Amino acid sequence: MARVSIGLTVNGQAVSAEVEPRMTLADFLRDELGLTGTKLGCEHGVCGACTVLIDGAAVRSCLMLAVQAEGADVLTIEGLSHNGLHPVQEAYWEHHGLQCGFCTPGMVLTAYAFLQERPDPSDEEIREALAGNLCRCTGYQNIVVAVRAAAEKLAGAR
Amino acid sequence: MTLQVLPRGKWLGARVKRVEDPRFLTGEAKYLADITLPGTVHVAFVRSPHGHARIRRIDTATAKEMPGVLAVFTADDVAPLPPLASGLPVEGLKPTPQPVLAKEKVRFVGEAIAAVVAESRYLAEDAAEQVTVDYEPLPAVVDAQRAMQPDAPTLHEELGSNIVYQKTTTLGDIEGAFAQADHVFRRRLHTNRFVAAPMETRGCISVYERASGHLTFYSSTQMPHMLRLFLALFLGIPEHKVRVISPEVGGGFGQKMTIYPEEVVVAYLGKVLGRPVKWVEDRRENLAAATHAKEQIIELEAAVRSDGRILGLKARLIGDGGAYSFNTASALIEPLAGAGLIPGVYDIQHYQHEVIAVCTNKSPVGAYRAVGWTAAQTARELFFDEIARELDLDPAELRRRNVISSEQFPYTTCTGMVYDSGTYRESLERALELVGYGELRRRQAELRQQGRYLGVGISLYVEPTAWGSEIALQAGFPFPSHDNATVTIDPSGKVRVAVSVHSHGQGHETTLAQVAAEILGVSIEDVVVEHGDTDRAPWGMGTYASRSAVIGGGMVALAAQEVRQKVLRVASRLLEVAPEDLDIQDGTVFVKGAPDRSLSMFQVAFAAYLDNRTRAEGEEPLLSATKFYDPRATYSNGCIVTVCEVDIETGLVRLDRIVAVEDCGTMLNPMIVEGQVMGAIAQGIGGALYEQITYDESGQLMTDTFVNYLLPGAAEVPPLTIEHLESPSPVTIGGIKGIGEGGLLATPASVAGAVLDALAPFDVHIERLPLTPERIVEAVGHS
Ligand code: FES
Ligand code: FES
Repeated sequence: MARVSIGLTVNGQAVSAEVEPRMTLADFLRDELGLTGTKLGCEHGVCGACTVLIDGAAVRSCLMLAVQAEGADVLTIEGLSHNGLHPVQEAYWEHHGLQCGFCTPGMVLTAYAFLQERPDPSDEEIREALAGNLCRCTGYQNIVVAVRAAAEKLAGAR
Repeated sequence: MTLQVLPRGKWLGARVKRVEDPRFLTGEAKYLADITLPGTVHVAFVRSPHGHARIRRIDTATAKEMPGVLAVFTADDVAPLPPLASGLPVEGLKPTPQPVLAKEKVRFVGEAIAAVVAESRYLAEDAAEQVTVDYEPLPAVVDAQRAMQPDAPTLHEELGSNIVYQKTTTLGDIEGAFAQADHVFRRRLHTNRFVAAPMETRGCISVYERASGHLTFYSSTQMPHMLRLFLALFLGIPEHKVRVISPEVGGGFGQKMTIYPEEVVVAYLGKVLGRPVKWVEDRRENLAAATHAKEQIIELEAAVRSDGRILGLKARLIGDGGAYSFNTASALIEPLAGAGLIPGVYDIQHYQHEVIAVCTNKSPVGAYRAVGWTAAQTARELFFDEIARELDLDPAELRRRNVISSEQFPYTTCTGMVYDSGTYRESLERALELVGYGELRRRQAELRQQGRYLGVGISLYVEPTAWGSEIALQAGFPFPSHDNATVTIDPSGKVRVAVSVHSHGQGHETTLAQVAAEILGVSIEDVVVEHGDTDRAPWGMGTYASRSAVIGGGMVALAAQEVRQKVLRVASRLLEVAPEDLDIQDGTVFVKGAPDRSLSMFQVAFAAYLDNRTRAEGEEPLLSATKFYDPRATYSNGCIVTVCEVDIETGLVRLDRIVAVEDCGTMLNPMIVEGQVMGAIAQGIGGALYEQITYDESGQLMTDTFVNYLLPGAAEVPPLTIEHLESPSPVTIGGIKGIGEGGLLATPASVAGAVLDALAPFDVHIERLPLTPERIVEAVGHS
């Protein structure tokens, strides 16, 4: 299959590559760039495990082709923090917001993007914001608590 | 037992943050799909689109010519591999071996027929589409009761019937109980088929080194050592040349206990091709071909006195086993385990059960959190609610009149379970108090006047835990079940704990480190817990059936205790005092009452290994001990109460809150206990309201994505209140009981009970779960 060249920014680094047009962004990040923190739980756009940020917005990388990310600024879980944990990650840790950890990168990035938009959300709003991210382990309650705590941490840091 | 009571200091029982979390939070944790070895090739399976068909011919010629394709394997190419059959046979269960690749027939949608190996997964899938199979479709059977009829399509012709197990057991004086009854009630419940659906699907990588004949097999499995044994036997590779590595595992819940046909095929492909061979399941495959769970048809009959006392029960449990009983007794696990727990927390000594296992054209059944017990609990609790309504008795009161009281422990059930201790009545009362039961009933009456329907559901449960040999026997499965831990202090004084129990979210790296740290008197930072690699961990069965806290905690405590004694002996020679006069705290060994006469753990360990003068006659230099533990049976318990409101126009259920009071004896880490309970409750909500695997009459799978198989999300789970009662087990080390399954055992009954309670004015009758809006609207319409 003819390859297409693309150029984009991933976690602050300029990346250029030749990809098959049908390759998903998720597979590109995972298999070509070795950024395996992005997970695949369904590959049909329901579970949210593959969430990454594109130009600041949470996007399902299993539903997007790598070629569609041409020129985009992509943030994956690996790029969220370079020094220790980001306050959102810390909050998940402190409030036991993860068990097997498989949904966690997507959950953390979804929460991170949401809190940028909505720095002081209610529990109900948090639950709605997370509605597109499935977790089979935690029952969500601690995740909601963690996101609320993260909001407080971020507010404190401002 | 010397370790009846574990020391509770800085670590044990504390809400310690999990030490494993940072690598998950940063995305550095490596799951199966994240591992790619140089030279890896990828597998895609060709799977049956038919529920039941004869295979006339398979044409792989085109596929083999496709770009990047290395090989296409069908049944003939894997002829040396024996079919999968029950590893541990149960008396009376007819064998239904499953070929690792279907040969003459396919018996469920998704059954693997061929394996295509190519340079990339994309190319493997392209080629898989070009494999053509000529099928002769056969009539399918997807209902267990239909499958029992003599004229039903037969899956395994050689058996002449789809019934693979049928046995009636009578306990106590069942006829006498029914003769004394004021009322006899009956109820039938057909529970839904639902699945573990871990967020990480299955997958494996086979790496075979031809020169040495060594197989390294990576698998997302819960039972590395058992997998090693079976791979060695199936592939004919000596076991000492097989290593199984289970990397990070993204949830299992029982589904990853099974040794699967795909694993055996991939292991074999690696051996034949001499390159790393990788298979990662996609979600459609997971819903179609990974084990299903929990579907039973349960008919209950109760002999009841007019005061609500249940005198005797008759039960008929039909397990819908799917196409094969290929793993350990898999067609039987649901109804057999269920039968044992029908009496549950209630004092019922006259009981008769008939257990039936049936094959149907569906994916085979396997374990899923609270195997068999979920269906049994749901059937019994909903039945008791109905009996209470019939007798015009409060459902809480009916339970009070029948529950086993604390004075009766140890209590032997008619099914042979020995309940060691617990808080059955207390958990009921506490849960009712927390939820504000009296007030809720008043409010319910008020709202009904306004045409609003509030419901309260109570599910009072006991959970067999610790899954050692004794409890396995008491639950009807006479298989051994035990595990090992090795605790070692290295020459620099740091602690290594290697365990055979496996973690796929349970947090063993934290809880088991807490146990070792407490006993050895060191900080948790100085302890590392290793698991999941058969070359590093001692032999054991793995993680399932709420056993790891009890067994893992117990075996680590035993091994750490022995290492502690060694440390004290070495230090006693260095400090010239008796070992009894020494204590260890914060990594320092010191003389009791004279804390300045002390040595660091580093000094003691260094001397133990490298200073021969510290060693007494016969003492070994290694500060290490390996201990096994096979605990006595212990039972956790609790009560889950759900409050909901049902909109009778739309059939929508709004869960208002769920209160869970649980008792798992001594807790290693309450934060982790709560996490287990909450996660299991969410799965139970799914089971009661949303999740069901469905097939049409022809055996077509109707639920093959997360679009049509619905998992509860954050918006579907209401606020959860968890409270602990603690009645330490008198029979296990430290009084620990397991906790993994209670939430899923009891929540479907609680949630469904709440919905049916809300609908009580309509006198609805519902025999099927989940309680979808359509079912609710239909039932109300028919009332
Ligand atoms: S993997 Fe992309 S949404 Fe599930
Ligand atoms: S922590 Fe396991 S899926 Fe969310």
